[in-house]
Amino acid sequence: MKLFTSYNRILAVITLTGLLAIGFLFYQTLGQYINKQIEDHLYEELLEVKDFAHVKNILPSPDGFDDVIVEYRKISRPSHSSKLFADTVFYNPKKKHEESARYLKTQLLIKGQRYEVIITASKFERQEQIKSIILIILLPLVVLLFVLWLVNRILIRRMWLPFRQLLTNIKAFNINKEKVFEPIRTNIEEFKELNKAVLEVSLKVKSDYREIKLFTENASHEMMTPLAVINSKLDTMLQFNSLGKEESEILADLYKATSKLTKLNQSLLLLVKIDNNQLQAREEIDLKTLLEEKLGYFQELIQKRNLKVKTETAAFTLYANRSLIEILVNNLFSNAIRHNYDGGSIQITLTEDSLIFSNTGTQTRLDPLKIFERFYKDNTSDGTGLGLAILKQVCLRQHYQLSYHYEQRQHQFRIIFNSR
Amino acid sequence: MKFLIVEDEEGLRKSIDQYLTAEGNICDWASTYEQGYQKLSIYDYDCVLLDLTLPDGEGLQLLKHLKKINKADGVLIISARNSLDQKIEGLSIGADDYLIKPFHLSELYARLLAIVRRRNFNGNSLLHFNELEIDTVSKETKVNGQLVYFTRKEFDLLLYFVANKNKVISKSAAVVHIWGDDADMADSFDFIYTHIKNVRKKLTDSGCKDYFQSVYGVGYKFSET
Repeated sequence: MKLFTSYNRILAVITLTGLLAIGFLFYQTLGQYINKQIEDHLYEELLEVKDFAHVKNILPSPDGFDDVIVEYRKISRPSHSSKLFADTVFYNPKKKHEESARYLKTQLLIKGQRYEVIITASKFERQEQIKSIILIILLPLVVLLFVLWLVNRILIRRMWLPFRQLLTNIKAFNINKEKVFEPIRTNIEEFKELNKAVLEVSLKVKSDYREIKLFTENASHEMMTPLAVINSKLDTMLQFNSLGKEESEILADLYKATSKLTKLNQSLLLLVKIDNNQLQAREEIDLKTLLEEKLGYFQELIQKRNLKVKTETAAFTLYANRSLIEILVNNLFSNAIRHNYDGGSIQITLTEDSLIFSNTGTQTRLDPLKIFERFYKDNTSDGTGLGLAILKQVCLRQHYQLSYHYEQRQHQFRIIFNSR
Repeated sequence: MKFLIVEDEEGLRKSIDQYLTAEGNICDWASTYEQGYQKLSIYDYDCVLLDLTLPDGEGLQLLKHLKKINKADGVLIISARNSLDQKIEGLSIGADDYLIKPFHLSELYARLLAIVRRRNFNGNSLLHFNELEIDTVSKETKVNGQLVYFTRKEFDLLLYFVANKNKVISKSAAVVHIWGDDADMADSFDFIYTHIKNVRKKLTDSGCKDYFQSVYGVGYKFSET
C-alpha cells in the first residue's frame, strides 16, 4: 500500500465517522427542539380548548382549528396518565397522504361527562425545515473535505517528487557498472538527509567492492609464484630415477591438485579482469568459424566421452572482444561436455541473434537462480565451480541475455546477442 | 646452450637451473634487477628467462636495456601477471615469448628450444632422434626418410616429447601444452593417453622404434632406453 493511500484511508474513515456522528447528533438535537416546539403549540391549543369548555361548558367544534386536528371521545373510566405526548402517523386529507405527526392526549370533564381529547399536529413542515438546515450545513462541509483531499493529493505528490527521483537513482546505481549514484536536488531537510546517507553508503560500497576486487586480484597473483614453485618441484621430482609406483601415484595426485588450484586462481583473476572491463579491444568475430574451431579443440574430450554433437549454425558475425567470446564459447563447451554422461549428446544452434547449447546430463532440472553463482556445483562435479559464473559475467558485461532452460531432458543455455 | 635466469624466487630458480643443466646446458642466474643488469651487459646468452616483477625493478626495463645495447639474446618472459596488455607490451618491446606462472619445466624447455631455433637462422629447422626427423618449420615428420602424417595436435605432442627427450613429462604438462589453459580439463588428464597411443601407433607402423615409455600413470618419457 502506498503511503498516501494508507494516509487517505485513515483520514477517510475518521472524516466519514465524524460526519455521520455529527449529522446524527445534529438531527437528534434538532428533532428534539422541534418536538418541544410542537408540544408547546399543542399545549396552547389544549388550553384554548379548556378555556372554551370552561366558559361555554361545551367542547369546541373540531372544525374550528386551522393547523391541528382535534378529536373527542367519550370515555367512562379515567385512565392513568393525565397528559401524554407521542408520535403518530395520520392521514392528511388535504394533501391526501400519510404524514408523521405528534399528538397530545388528555382528559376533560365536562358536565360530568369524561372526554378524551386528542390534539394532533403535523410534523411535516418542521421536518422539511430540518432537512434544509442539515443540507445547508453538511453539503458545504462535504465539498470542503473533497477539496481538502484533492489539495492534499496534489501537494503530497509534489512533495514526494524528490523521493521518487531518489528511488530511481538508487535503482539505477549498479556496482557492477561504472555508474555512480546521482544525488538529487531538494530543499526538504529530510530528503537532503536521506540523499546524503545514500550517497555515503554508495561510495562506501563502491570502495569496498573495489578493495575486494583488488584483494582477489592480488591474492590470486601472489599465489601464482608459489604454485610455480610447486609445479617446478613436481617436475623435478618426476625426473628421479628412483621413482616407484607408489611415489608416482602420489605425484599424479599432486599434479591434479596443483592444476586445479591453478585453474581456480586463473578463473578468479579472469572474473576480476572481466569485472574491471580490462578486455576492451573489439573486432568482428565470425562466430560460426569460431564454433567450428572450438569443436576441433574439444574433439578429444568429446570423443573420450563418446558424445554425439549436432550443430546447426547460420553465418553470424559479432562485434566484440575476441578473448571474451572465446572464453564464452570455451565455457559453454566445457560445461556441456563435463556435465554430460558417456554416450550423451550436445546440440549447438547458432541463429542470427542467438547461440544455444543443449546437452543431455546426469542431473535433472537445475535451479536457474543458483547455477550462475560462484562456486555453485553439484557434488559429483570436479570443476572449479566458476565456469558458469564467468559465463554470466561475460554476458553481463556485453549486455547479452543469458538464460537456462530444461526442456525435453536437455539442459539448455541460451545467449541472445541483442545489442552491438 | 647458455641461459640466464632472472628470477627472485629461489625455489623456482633452482628447479629451472637443475632441469636445464641436466640437459647439458650452462645456466647463470640473477635474483635482482641490479644483478641481471650487470650480467646482461657483460655476457652473451642464447636466451634470457626474465621474471617481470623483481624486488628492485621491473623486468621490462631489463628487456628495454637489452634491446638498447643491441644484444641478440633471445628473451622468454616468465610472469605471474597474465594481463593480455602486458603480454603484448612485452612482445612488442622484443621478447620472443611469454610464459605465465605456473608452468611446467618441460613447457619452459620446449619454448626455450623453439626460441633458440628461430633465432639461429643459419641453423636448420630439423630435429633428429635416431631414425626420426622432425621439421619444425614445415611441420613434417619423417621416419627413415619416409613421411608420416600427423594431425596438428599429434605433431605438437611429438615435438614436445622430442624436445624434452629423456625427461618424464607429466600428463598434466602434456595436456596444458596441447590444449592450453583455456579448457577446464583439470579433472580429465587421462584422455592424453589416447593421443599418445595414436602417435605411437603411427610411428611404429612406419617402422620407427617405440620410444615412448609410460611412467606409472603419472606421465610419459621419450627416450632410447
